[in-house]
Formats: sequence, structure tokens, C-alpha cells
Amino acid sequence: MENYLQFLSIAILLSGFILVANKRVDSYIKTFRLQSVLLALVAGLIGVGNIAREGNWEIMIVCLITLAIKVYYIPHLLKKTVQKVQYKVEKDFFLNIPISVLICCALVIIIYFVVPHIDDLRNANLQVYLANAMALVLIGLFFMISRKKAIGQIIGFLVIENGLFTAAILSTEGMPMIVELGIFFDLLTAVLIMGILVFRINENFESIDLDKLRNLRG
Amino acid sequence: MGYLMAGIIQLAVIIVLAPLVNGIIKKIKALSQKRKGAPLLQLYYDLYKLMKKDMVISETASWIFRVTPYIVMSSVLLAALLIPLSIQLQPIRFMGDVILVVYLLALGRFFMALTGLDTASTFGGMGSSREMMISSLIEPSLLVAVFTVGLLAGSTSVYDMMQNSTLTGLAIFQPVYILTFLALFIVLIAETARIPVDDPATHLELTMVHEAMLLEYSGRYLALMELSAAIKQLLLITILVNLFIPLDEFFHIVNPIMMLGVSLLGYLVKVVAIAVLIAIVEIKTVKLRLFSVPNLAALSFILALLGFFQYWIIGR
Repeated sequence: MENYLQFLSIAILLSGFILVANKRVDSYIKTFRLQSVLLALVAGLIGVGNIAREGNWEIMIVCLITLAIKVYYIPHLLKKTVQKVQYKVEKDFFLNIPISVLICCALVIIIYFVVPHIDDLRNANLQVYLANAMALVLIGLFFMISRKKAIGQIIGFLVIENGLFTAAILSTEGMPMIVELGIFFDLLTAVLIMGILVFRINENFESIDLDKLRNLRG
Repeated sequence: MGYLMAGIIQLAVIIVLAPLVNGIIKKIKALSQKRKGAPLLQLYYDLYKLMKKDMVISETASWIFRVTPYIVMSSVLLAALLIPLSIQLQPIRFMGDVILVVYLLALGRFFMALTGLDTASTFGGMGSSREMMISSLIEPSLLVAVFTVGLLAGSTSVYDMMQNSTLTGLAIFQPVYILTFLALFIVLIAETARIPVDDPATHLELTMVHEAMLLEYSGRYLALMELSAAIKQLLLITILVNLFIPLDEFFHIVNPIMMLGVSLLGYLVKVVAIAVLIAIVEIKTVKLRLFSVPNLAALSFILALLGFFQYWIIGR
């Protein structure tokens, strides 16, 4: 069980790297979907364990909600947004790919140095989980600041959320149901609002390039 | 079982099996395109036919051109002696032999790049410069990945590493092993001139890398070069499967000869599995632009580096 969870936590971290190495908006969405599938697998694995041990269905329900919202609904919504704003394939990032991948690697290594120094965290498994999840949060942050287009930044935000979710579910074996539900609905509304915002930016500036927002300064 | 016997078995299995791997990959690709494709044993027929043919050698070619096929072939065969096919075999081993393997392969590549330049054909030079670029990008990740596995085993000998991963159980599910496995898989694809990096089936001179260097060869020399490329591919696959997917722990047979047979059969299954994986990658991806190859190499390098740091800092 621990082996599989470690494997999945590494796989989630790697999907973050794949995201950073991608150039196109379609593949951002695809990779985000893949990451969410892995996340649902983690929740499902812990959920099955919980059902077997104490008959607790809460994490299984969280897994199902993840599948519904993060694997199906949000990527679907983003795809529709991308189609409507008629996104043109053009250069979307400030740094080239090898450099951004190497920067992400440096971020991960920093986290690896930090995590063993957290007091009261002696469990080696927990260290691996927490290190990988925190690294994913930083990668999401880096992704957000390294892309110019609004869609990339939404994906970055979602990746940060995925990292926090991984950290929470792997280190506590499940938060209270009500907290999870609250986070999910927060996320959903955030993505909806950001989607509408992207439309408005596109209408007003005829591009979703956030550099153009400087025009407001007058 | 003596070293001599083990060496003979090693060489025999590798030379006989190597062209088959190419056949399998080509067959799967053909089937995915709804073609019947060439027979599985096509490369054997090709090699046999090439062996019988006359050679045409350019007047401007120097001794390097004539000597390279033998150097490439012998360096690859020497490397084949150092990588055990199964933990039951005891081929030559000593401290640091994995470094020797990496640089024996590099020696062959160096001479191949020289011949590309030797006859002064335009395509040869282009192929050489591209090959050197790719190999210099990919070598760091190969070494870091191999050393990380060596660190886990506490040794730089391939046999000890194999033994260690057999003791670990299903090594592939350990985080460090999965990271280094993926890094080495990208190295395998780049080193054997497979699709995201180089297209083995192309004959468009502007895009080819490996083929461009062999453009001047014909007859027996070409057969030697083709065979050594196939053997090199099998060697890299062998490193991959034997370090990361050890199957020997599942069998407990007392008779050593029977055990060796079963172990080699397991090896064959693993090689076919990796060949299928390579074929799937070839089907699913398109050839990268030459200037996008550094992206792939960077990804492979950071995978290996992350594996190393994860082991070194967190200890897993």
C-alpha cells in the first residue's frame, strides 16, 4: 500500500513536470486531466483501505467527486472556453523549456532539503508524500508566473490546488468531509468566474495575453 | 559455471536476439498502420544478403573508414560481455564496469562520427554533428541514472546492482527506481535513434541522424554496422530490464541449468515487453525538431537528478 502511494505521489509530481514541459493549451488541459486521474486514484486507494478497516465511506465519496469535477467538468469547461476565445497557437512562455524544467527541478530539490527539517515529522513515508506534494505546489506557482496567457494561469492555480489536496489527503488520510466539500465548491466557482473573466478580457483586448492589460493604465 | 561458458552464452543469446527486437518493433508499427509489414526475421535476411555482396568504397576514404566497422562491432561485443543477461550467469565483473560499458558504447559512437566526416560527403558530416550533439546531451542523464542505481546497491558493478534490485523485490514501484527507469527509457530512445529523436525508417537526408553517417557503407561493412546498432539497442534494453524489473525472485528451482533456462526465458519476455513499449512510443509520438531534442534531454536529466536527490536527502 505505502509502495503504491509513493509511486502515485511521484507520478503526480512528474505530471507537474510534463505540464511545465508542454507548449500548447490543449496539452495543458490534457495533462491536468491526467494529474486529476492520479489524484482520484490516490483518494480511491486510501478510500478502499478505509472502507475495509472501519467502514468509512467519506474518502470514497471524495474520490468520486474528484472524478466528477476535476477529471470531467473543469477540463470540459476549460476546453469550451479555449474554443470560444479562438486561441491562436503562439509563444506563451517567458523562459524556454529546458530552463523552466531545470528551475522546477531546483524548486523540488529545495523542498527536499526543507522537509526533513520539519520537527515531529519522523515518518519516512510521510516525508516522501509531503515533499512531493509541496514541490507540486511550487511547480504550480512557477507555472502561473511563467505563462503569459490567462488559461495557463488558471491551470497553474488548479495545479497548486491539486498539490494542496495531495498533501492533505496523503498526510492525514482524509480531512473531514465538510472541509473537502467546501474546497471543491470554492474551486468550482473560482474556475467558473475565471472562465468568464477570460471571455471579458478577450472581448475587451482581443487577446488573452495578460501583458495587454497594461493598456488600462492610460 | 565458468566464466568462459557464461561469456559464450551471453554473446550467443545477444547476437541471435538483437535483430529480432528490431523485427518486433517494425511488425507492431506495421500492424498499427493496418499493413502486413515485413516478416519478423527480415533483418536476419538483410544481414545475410549484405554479407554476400561486394563493397563499394570511396576513393577518398582513409583507413578510418575501413577500421570503424570492426571497432564498433568489437566495442559493442565487449560491452555485451559485461552486462549479465541473468543473475544466474557470472560473466566478467569488476568494480566500475558500468562506467566501462558506457564509454565502450561512446567509443563506437566516436568512430562512427569520424567515418561520417571521413569521406567528406555533406550528409555524413551533418549526421555526425547531430549525433554528437544528441549524445553529449544524453550522456549526463545516463551516467546520473546509472550512478543512482549504483548508490542504492553500494557498488558500480552491473552484477551487484542486479543482485540488489532482485533483493529489493518489485523494484519498479520504489520512487527512486521509477524516476531512474523513466530517465533511462528516454536515454534508450535517444541512443537507439528511435522516433521522438530520430526516425529509423526515414531516407530523407535532411532529417536523418544515424542513417546519414552510414550512408557511404555497403556490403559487409554495412552489415556489421547494422548488426552492431541492433546489439547496442539490445544492450541498453538489457540494462533497463535487468536493473528495474528483476523476475528471478519468483522462481525457486534447485537445478542450476533449469533455473538458467527459466531465467533466460523471463529475460526474453521482458525484452519483448520493452520492445512493445518502444513501438507504442514510436506510434504515438512524432519526430521532434532537432532543436527540441534538448527539451527531452533536459527532462531525462532532471528525472535522473530527482531520483538521486530523493535517495540522498530523504533516503527512499
